Amino acid sequence: MRITLDVIRECLEGTIPAGIATCSLDGTPNISIVSHVHFVDSTHVALSFQFFNKTRENVLANPHAVVQVIHPVTGARYSMDLEYLHTETQGPLFESMKAKLAGIASHTGMSGVFRLQGSDIYCVRSIEKVPGQELPLPPVRRNLLSALRVCAERLTQCNDLAKLLDGALTCLRDLFDIHHAMVLMLDGSGQRLYTVASRGYEQSGVGSEIAIGCGVIGVAAEQRTPIRIMHMTADYSYGRAIRESVEREGLGGRLETAIPLPGLPDSRSQMAAPILAGGRLLGILYVESPEDKRFWYDDEDALVAVAAQLGMAINTLAQFSESPDETPPAAGQAMPAAGAPVVVRHYAADDSVFIDDDYLIKGVAGAIFCKLLRDYTDGQRTEFTNRELRLDPSIGLPDLSDNLEARLILLERRLSERCAFLRIDKTGRGRFRLNVGRPFRLVDVG
Amino acid sequence: MASPNDKAPCLDADLAAFVQGGVSIVAASRVGKRSPVIARAAGCRVSPSRRQVTILVSSSQAAAFLEGIRNTRAIAAVFSQPSTHRTIQLKGIDAAPAPLQDGDHALIAAYTHAFCEELAPLGYHPDQVRAVLSCEADDFVAVTFSISTAFSQTPGPRAGEPLVA
Repeated sequence: MRITLDVIRECLEGTIPAGIATCSLDGTPNISIVSHVHFVDSTHVALSFQFFNKTRENVLANPHAVVQVIHPVTGARYSMDLEYLHTETQGPLFESMKAKLAGIASHTGMSGVFRLQGSDIYCVRSIEKVPGQELPLPPVRRNLLSALRVCAERLTQCNDLAKLLDGALTCLRDLFDIHHAMVLMLDGSGQRLYTVASRGYEQSGVGSEIAIGCGVIGVAAEQRTPIRIMHMTADYSYGRAIRESVEREGLGGRLETAIPLPGLPDSRSQMAAPILAGGRLLGILYVESPEDKRFWYDDEDALVAVAAQLGMAINTLAQFSESPDETPPAAGQAMPAAGAPVVVRHYAADDSVFIDDDYLIKGVAGAIFCKLLRDYTDGQRTEFTNRELRLDPSIGLPDLSDNLEARLILLERRLSERCAFLRIDKTGRGRFRLNVGRPFRLVDVG
Repeated sequence: MASPNDKAPCLDADLAAFVQGGVSIVAASRVGKRSPVIARAAGCRVSPSRRQVTILVSSSQAAAFLEGIRNTRAIAAVFSQPSTHRTIQLKGIDAAPAPLQDGDHALIAAYTHAFCEELAPLGYHPDQVRAVLSCEADDFVAVTFSISTAFSQTPGPRAGEPLVA
C-alpha cells in the first residue's frame, strides 16, 4: 500500500533529529540534521532554512533529497524522497513555521540561534517504511471526528452570538478536553482583536485587546493562518505581546485602561485558528494547555474546523441581529434606582468609561454605553434596538464589518463583572434593555 | 581535529569520544549519478589512530545505503547530540562494508543504552528508542571509512566550518 504523508505526519514532530541527505553535482553525498519538517499538504513538506549550508547549496543545484523521520511514539521510521521546489520568505506558511521554530528553539535552549530565513518547499515523491520493530500506538485520547460532529450539531442550535461563543467554548471543554480557550474578535479598525468570550481562566479578560501581529494570536490573525506551538516560547508570550501592543500604539502612559489578557501563566502548548467568513477575518479562536505537546496535527484540524463553523455562524447571526423581533420586548424586572449617585466619566478621546474611578470599557462599546446612559438621563429610556445603535452617528461604528452584537456582549459582560447596579439584558432578537439600579451622573471629559 | 604527522585528518580525543557517545548517527551515500540515500546507525567505533571511523547499520534497513557504499564508496555521516545540538559531519571516499568485529554487539548494546539516556530527558521512553534502533543481531554490518573531511554543523554562525586543530 502506498504510504501518504498525511497518514504519517506525526513523524514530522519528533525530537529525535531527522537527517537530510543530498548530493552535490559531482555526486558527493552530504548529510545534515533538520530541526523542523513542516507538513504543508499530503504531497508537500517545508524544511526550515536557517543558515546557508551545504544542504542548501546542494538542493539548489540538485533538487533530490532524502529525509528519514521517526514516529515520536511508535519509533517507526520512514524515508521520504523529496524534490526541492522553491523557497518562501514571507506569508502564512513562513510565519507559521517561524512561530513553531521559535517554540522548538525555546524548548531546546536555542532561542536567538534558530532563526528562520525561509521555508524550503519540497514535493514528496515517495515514502518508504524502514523495516524494523515499532511500538503499538496507545489508545487515542478522544475521537476528534466524533467530537467535531457533536460540536457542529450543537453549534447549529445556537440562535444568538453569545450562545454561539459560549457553546463553542463549552464544546471545546466537554468534547475536546480543551479547558483553556478564548474567542477574540477583530475590531472595525482591523488593527486589534478584543476578547469577547473565554473559558478556564481566573479572570475572564473580556474586553482585553491584542494588536494584530503580536504573539501567537496576533500572528495567526495577521497571516490568517492557524498557528500551533507544542512547546511554549517567550518570543510569542502574552506578556511580551501585550507590551509590544502597548508600545506600538503609544499607550505607554495609559495602561490603566488595559484589561489583562486572560492566559495560563504556565502555558506549554498553544493553538490559534483564524475565524474567517466570506474571505474576511472575523476573529481568532485560541486554546492552550499547561502540557507540552498537547496539540498535534489532528487537534489543529479540529480547531480549524470549529473556527470555520464559527465564522459562518457569526456571519449568519449578524444578518439577523440588527432586524429586531416583531414581538414586543419581554417584560423585565427593572431594578429600582436607589442609593448614592455614582459618577460615570466618559473620555471622548478614546471613549473610555470609568465608573467612579474604576475602568469599565473603551472604544465602540464605551460609546454605546454613553449613548444608553444619555438616553436614560434624557427621557428615562430603557428599551433599545441594535439597529438604532448601528445608525447612531454618536457611536461611530466604523462599518458593517464591526460586529455590533459582539460589542454588546462585551459591554454586557464587563458590566456584570465590574458594576453591580448597571446591567444590560437581551429582550429578544436585536433588542435589549438597560437596567439602572442606582442614580448616576454622566460627566464628559475632554 | 589534529593532524600530527601527515595531512590525513584525524579526530581529537574529545571528538572521538563524542562520536562514540549516545549521539544520533545518520549516514548518507549515493546511488546512480546523484541520488542520495540515507541510513541510521546503531553505534560507532573509532580506530586507534582516530583516522578511521566505523558505523554499524542494519543491512536490511540500510539496503539502498549499502548499495551506494559498495558502488561509490562515498559516505557522509552526521553525529548530533539532541540535548545540546552539538553536531559534526564526517565524510569519506573509501567507505566499504565489513563484517562485525568482536565486541561490536557489546558496542551496539552500550550505544543503545547511552542513546536512551540521552533521549530520556526529552520525553522518550527507552522502549521507543530501542524500537528506533531495533534490528536482528545477525543483520548488522559495519561500514568503515577514512575521514577525508570533517565539519562542525552545530547550529549557529560557525555551522559548516571545517574542523581544524
